[in-house]
Amino acid sequence: MAMLKVKAKNPSRTLRELFAGWLSEGRLSAMLVPVMAKSGAATLALVSDPAKMAEAAPLLPAMAVNAASVVHDIARQKGEAGRVGLLLRPCEMRAVVELIKLRQVDADGVVLVGIDCPGTYKAAGFREVRTKGEEFDNEHAGGQRDYYDSPNLRTACQVCDSSAPSAFDVAVGFLGLDPDKELWLEAGTDKGRVLLEGFDLTGEAPAARAKYLEALKERRLKKAAGTIEKLDKVMRGPEKLVGYFADCLNCHNCMRVCPVCYCHECFFNSSTFQRGLDEHVRTAKRKGLTRMPSETLLFHLTRMNHMMASCVACGICEDSCPAGVGLLPLFKKVSRNVQAEFGYVSGRSLEEPLPLVAFREDEFQAVGESE
Amino acid sequence: MADFEPRIVGFLCNWCTYAGADLAGTSRMQYPPNMRPIRVMCSGSVDSVYLLRALLEGADGVFIGGCHPGDCHYVSGNYKARRRMVAFKSILRSVGLDEDRVWLRWISAAEGRKFADTITAMTDELKRKGPSPFREQWDV
Repeated sequence: MAMLKVKAKNPSRTLRELFAGWLSEGRLSAMLVPVMAKSGAATLALVSDPAKMAEAAPLLPAMAVNAASVVHDIARQKGEAGRVGLLLRPCEMRAVVELIKLRQVDADGVVLVGIDCPGTYKAAGFREVRTKGEEFDNEHAGGQRDYYDSPNLRTACQVCDSSAPSAFDVAVGFLGLDPDKELWLEAGTDKGRVLLEGFDLTGEAPAARAKYLEALKERRLKKAAGTIEKLDKVMRGPEKLVGYFADCLNCHNCMRVCPVCYCHECFFNSSTFQRGLDEHVRTAKRKGLTRMPSETLLFHLTRMNHMMASCVACGICEDSCPAGVGLLPLFKKVSRNVQAEFGYVSGRSLEEPLPLVAFREDEFQAVGESE
Repeated sequence: MADFEPRIVGFLCNWCTYAGADLAGTSRMQYPPNMRPIRVMCSGSVDSVYLLRALLEGADGVFIGGCHPGDCHYVSGNYKARRRMVAFKSILRSVGLDEDRVWLRWISAAEGRKFADTITAMTDELKRKGPSPFREQWDV
């Protein structure tokens, strides 16, 4: 573990220089980083030219897509070992970890560089702050502690209790520190140590960061518990459940943007449930009428069954919903319950086996037996 | 409600429970005709989408029958079915739906009696519960 001295009170630039160094010294061939394009687009870029690392915005407080979705697209096939760095927020890293375990990302080809994240702005809120100029991301890291509890944060971020990288090769920390002066670097693996060669990694982890993360976690857990409690009170019986998805248009955007909804062809795009007119009429006769387009709730509940064990509660599904269905609270609650059944936490480690793949003979023995 | 007859959709593993059902039949055991059996190759092959579709279309109950743990024809399909059922029921509970309308049971090819008794017990319990609310709830 090492402290990285911040130059000219500019943590963003300091990180850009660190990453540019990894490229120019040949430790990496390219790096996926958040960027703030001149057009105003807060997006991602795969940077190969060290000089172009100037475009990067490592502390960008906006997340239009979960980077894991991009990683899934570009890193499924084997690449040259350890040559592409990925700068990931904690929820993005958790999703990449799940994708690696789902064999959707080639772990050898990439280096996971995690960075602390106190939360990202809702799209509207972000449009306001980005007009502040190029150093807004420094402000985000340092000066605006109040913002970490702000209602301008995305819903998912307001109740996020994992603000630090989990299964990283390299971690960059700033929460609880003074990012105008120093950042914290840690190597979690040999791959990470290659990138941090030259740093004295024998130092102790800063207590201030741990303390800050603990306090932030406590505040956020409390808020999450409140959100889930509210949901528990109303979520009783089919009518309430159908009501939750009342505005759903059946567009399946939530599935398309979900980083862990990994199927290349979704079951719901297959012909399995395609029916002829006669069969639709038969279905209608069962209840006297049937909703069109059909199978809205079936889609959401099936999706839950397929991906809840790996859901990282990033909330990108909610952001992408054109009808404004507040998906995050329900998905947060359900994923937490499902993962708790198996003592599993999505994205926590690369070693923990996926709950629906692994099994033990001597578990859940009451399931399948008569009471 | 006395004349309410539950509709149960049953997914029976080819190697154990389906053969158990066959044995119950050839042994002329009496059991309620409320379950519509669907033969599947393994309890582990039944995706949750089929259980959900039956429930949302208004089935009063869904039954899955598999080989006893350790006896799976494909070695571990039923262990995976068991984990999936744990997740499935957790989701039903979390969204406020009735998990007791879904039964997973291990019934071997030799257990014709157990099969008849299990279907009888499930039919009785569903009669007590009454019709599924999804018989009426059409806007799903």
